[in-house]
Amino acid sequence: MALIDIKNLTYQYPITDRPALRDLSLKVEENEFLAVIGRNGAGKSTLCYTLAGFVPHFFRGDLQGTVRVGEKESAESTLNEWVLQVGLVFQNPFNQISGSKFTVYEEIAFGLENIGIPREEMHQRVEDIMSRTGITDLGDRSPYALSGGQQQRVALASILVMEPRVLVLDEPTSQLDPIGTRQVFQVIKSMSGRGMTVVLAEHKLEWIAEFADRVIALQDGKIILEGSPGEVLTSPRLDDIGIAPSRYTRAARAAKEEGLWPAGQPLPVRLEEARQGFQRIIDGH
Amino acid sequence: MTQQLTFYIDRDSQLHRLNPLTKIVLVFSFIIIAFTGPWYLLPAVLIVLAIIPLSFLGRIQKEYAAATRKLLLPVVGFLFVMQSLFHPDTGEILLKLWFLDISVGSLRYAFLTASRIFVMVSAFILLLLTTHPSVLMSDLTRRGLSGSFAYVITSTLQILPQMRAKASTIIDAQRSRGLDTEGGYRQRVRALLPLAGPLVFGSLVEVEERAIAIEARAFTSTQPKTYLTEIPDTPLDRTIRWSLVVLTILTVGSNLWL
Repeated sequence: MALIDIKNLTYQYPITDRPALRDLSLKVEENEFLAVIGRNGAGKSTLCYTLAGFVPHFFRGDLQGTVRVGEKESAESTLNEWVLQVGLVFQNPFNQISGSKFTVYEEIAFGLENIGIPREEMHQRVEDIMSRTGITDLGDRSPYALSGGQQQRVALASILVMEPRVLVLDEPTSQLDPIGTRQVFQVIKSMSGRGMTVVLAEHKLEWIAEFADRVIALQDGKIILEGSPGEVLTSPRLDDIGIAPSRYTRAARAAKEEGLWPAGQPLPVRLEEARQGFQRIIDGH
Repeated sequence: MTQQLTFYIDRDSQLHRLNPLTKIVLVFSFIIIAFTGPWYLLPAVLIVLAIIPLSFLGRIQKEYAAATRKLLLPVVGFLFVMQSLFHPDTGEILLKLWFLDISVGSLRYAFLTASRIFVMVSAFILLLLTTHPSVLMSDLTRRGLSGSFAYVITSTLQILPQMRAKASTIIDAQRSRGLDTEGGYRQRVRALLPLAGPLVFGSLVEVEERAIAIEARAFTSTQPKTYLTEIPDTPLDRTIRWSLVVLTILTVGSNLWL
């Protein structure tokens, strides 16, 4: 049985005139890494909010269909129960800082205080997650006196410390510089390596190609492409839905149009795959 | 960006180590005693015998003196002068200034009012200098204060400086597009809209995101909460609190019954 099972989900935000998600069905297996792509307004964030329980518990609006994670159904749970199994991290690191804590250490413990974890265990879990997210040395700093990348790792740690079964990430690096992006992806990768189920909405296709087991592409609230990263991220249909393929894909495509690209060599998404293909061209196939 | 809106001075002292509730009881009992005491010199005695020694006990005498000089003395001084000039005359007249008289009665009254205000503000300064707001709030939540209320207080302290920083960014951005923020009143009022708009709407979006962020961490969970930091509440704390309560009752009572 899949860990996440969404069936025929249609959802419309209050005071809007068209649904954000239309008849969407999706299964995600335990320990799978699923990436969600799509241009702005395609429904990526709404899908993330739905998985994390904020649709319909926080945004209200009209929801049809079912969302199941593990044994539980979203509509029959409260948001407080739901966030314990699905953790959500979103774009703006600054807005994810609770604002009520004066140090990073306290900030990470905030969620544990709310669910009544005993003090001993709290210290253990906070220290453990700080070392896994690489922010141990930030413990005494103010959460506001950090760089974006550090702040986003604090936000990640604050969610991970609650030990959810699923981690949902809504463009977690869109406001970060390249270094911050790499650090955040390293944390996500290591969590995935430790068996966590991850759903990641993201624009950076090269990173997706590196991590994801499966990719879905959304347009107008529907899944229009689904498959392995190699298939979806190099699909010619990406251009139709307004997503630019990676520069390596574009370069290889140009080579293909010139009749140079080796037959049977898949189109690359990342540098390493592109290098292999072009090496074969240079070597004369 | 990193600035926070707290007066807290991080030191180790007996006053710092007192339970926050004890210090709150101290503040309010001082205020009640100063305002209801039966003797016009009582607030002054409180300043000399309690407040100043407490500032030394808390090892914050320098910061307390600075706050007193900059904040308290100008206000209290002004109050004293006004009250001695304009309070209805009673008793022997000491000085005649044109139509204003300074009498023994008005001087006494001015002194009492000024020293009362002095006690009140000083007591709060001592509390704020020696108690970290998050410790204060977490202790009060433990004693039954609503978690949401405590959140509003502590997050305001953190978010106000951030908003100020953002406001100045917006001002810079609008100026660089040619908005004139200087000149006469009219000019300035006209310039306000393009400044306030982004700040207000931006903050509203932020509020929604922050609400999601704290909900994602089970803020409204109905489970009994636990607390990361242990805030000691010793027998000494309880003794001090009860003594202060008794003292306060005696003072109020002496006013009513004597």
